Amino acid sequence: MPVQSGGERYEPRILGFLCTWCSYTGADLAGIARLKYPSNMRAVRVPCSGRVAPELVMRAFDQGADGVLVLGCHIGECHYDNGNHRAAKRMPTLRALIEFAGLEPERLRLDWVSASEGERFARIVQEFTETVRLLGPCAWRSRAAAIPGVGLETTQAGRSMSEAGGRP
Amino acid sequence: MTHAAAIRGKARELLQTGQVECVLGYETGSRGRVRPAFIYRPEEVERLVWNQACTHNLTTYLPAKLRPTKPGQTPRHVAVVVKACDSRAINVLLAENQFTRDQVHVIGVVCDGIVEGAGFERIPESGAAPPPALQRRCQRCDDRVPLVYDTRIGEPPAEHPLAENLPGDAELDRLEAMTPAERAGFWLAQFDRCLRCYACRQACPMCNCPTCLYERDDSLWVGMGIGSSEKRTFHLGRAYHLAGRCIGCDECERVCPMNIPISLLNRKLAKEIELAFGYRAGLAPVPGPLVTVLESGEVKP
Repeated sequence: MPVQSGGERYEPRILGFLCTWCSYTGADLAGIARLKYPSNMRAVRVPCSGRVAPELVMRAFDQGADGVLVLGCHIGECHYDNGNHRAAKRMPTLRALIEFAGLEPERLRLDWVSASEGERFARIVQEFTETVRLLGPCAWRSRAAAIPGVGLETTQAGRSMSEAGGRP
Repeated sequence: MTHAAAIRGKARELLQTGQVECVLGYETGSRGRVRPAFIYRPEEVERLVWNQACTHNLTTYLPAKLRPTKPGQTPRHVAVVVKACDSRAINVLLAENQFTRDQVHVIGVVCDGIVEGAGFERIPESGAAPPPALQRRCQRCDDRVPLVYDTRIGEPPAEHPLAENLPGDAELDRLEAMTPAERAGFWLAQFDRCLRCYACRQACPMCNCPTCLYERDDSLWVGMGIGSSEKRTFHLGRAYHLAGRCIGCDECERVCPMNIPISLLNRKLAKEIELAFGYRAGLAPVPGPLVTVLESGEVKP
């Protein structure tokens, strides 16, 4: 259900965690080759796909990302030997968890892009953007207002309390 | 000999011979409620009890009790009373090198299930009519004899209940049948009640980080506040940290003052881990799949 406003197409906000050794270089290559891919993805360069902790992904969804793309080196090509092995186990588990918590699992995608695969990078970003576009905005952002009984007053009161007593 | 007398006898022997410095067991508190007991002297062992209200997972205290208090200290030794479910936690803690096997004398009790309300209410004597209902985790449990023990209290049952005769996980099935939007609403309503009191974390034997990620006010990623997104991140993140480690004692849910069904998240992830990696936490002292690297034959996305 894409959101239509003024005839414009819904543009999802996508956060991409790109491994600096393969995928980020792959993205560079896509740029050098002047390949066209959607500009919806904001890239965050991380040292390794194994660096992408579940907290980072959940934080991204909390802060308004509609989709999170994690790209790393192919299995067997990790600069740190096995960082992507860890990502390969973590991301499916995290997908199951966010699905259980009420997000569509398709909003989180893990894939492998090597430094020489600019074309593959562009294709994955293209595919993922279209997938998320079809899903529409992320439910975690606006859900608080939509549920009767747990409306904004509670959450906002909680927030102002936490801000008053929380950080210096 | 009753289970309680057997536990007392063993505890007295262990303390008198100096094999352990402390016995972790259960006692009845001043208001008739069962609570954890720390027994340091042989003459105190009469405080120890065993009944169907001994719900606490005492392995929670083991890492702190066994950690050296000063550098160069000789390894400390304690004894702990465990049920079948709690004994799986010992396996997980051993796999994570929290202590070594010889540091802990495990008094494993063959368990008949723990009753609902244990730890909070005065539990009527067994034989009272009507008998109190078992906790839901105990109704689903097919595991009565501890997996790890040095001393076994009670005889193993002649036959184990068959898994297919036990009730399924109806709550989990109900939630899985919901649409994503319904589930998001369900969890928002649950997490909205959370006080961030961390009782769930304190009761959990696996939550033993010296500094909790969710209790740092300098964290860049996870707020300490009680906004709904922070509470959701806390609960989902904690569930994720327990993936492949949770042994299903459901203490987190029992201690929650707001009755948030936290264990549903843990049960869901335990199910997913078993599907994806064929691994159940605590059956053997080996690390869980999320902290090891891929081996050939394991699933890849």
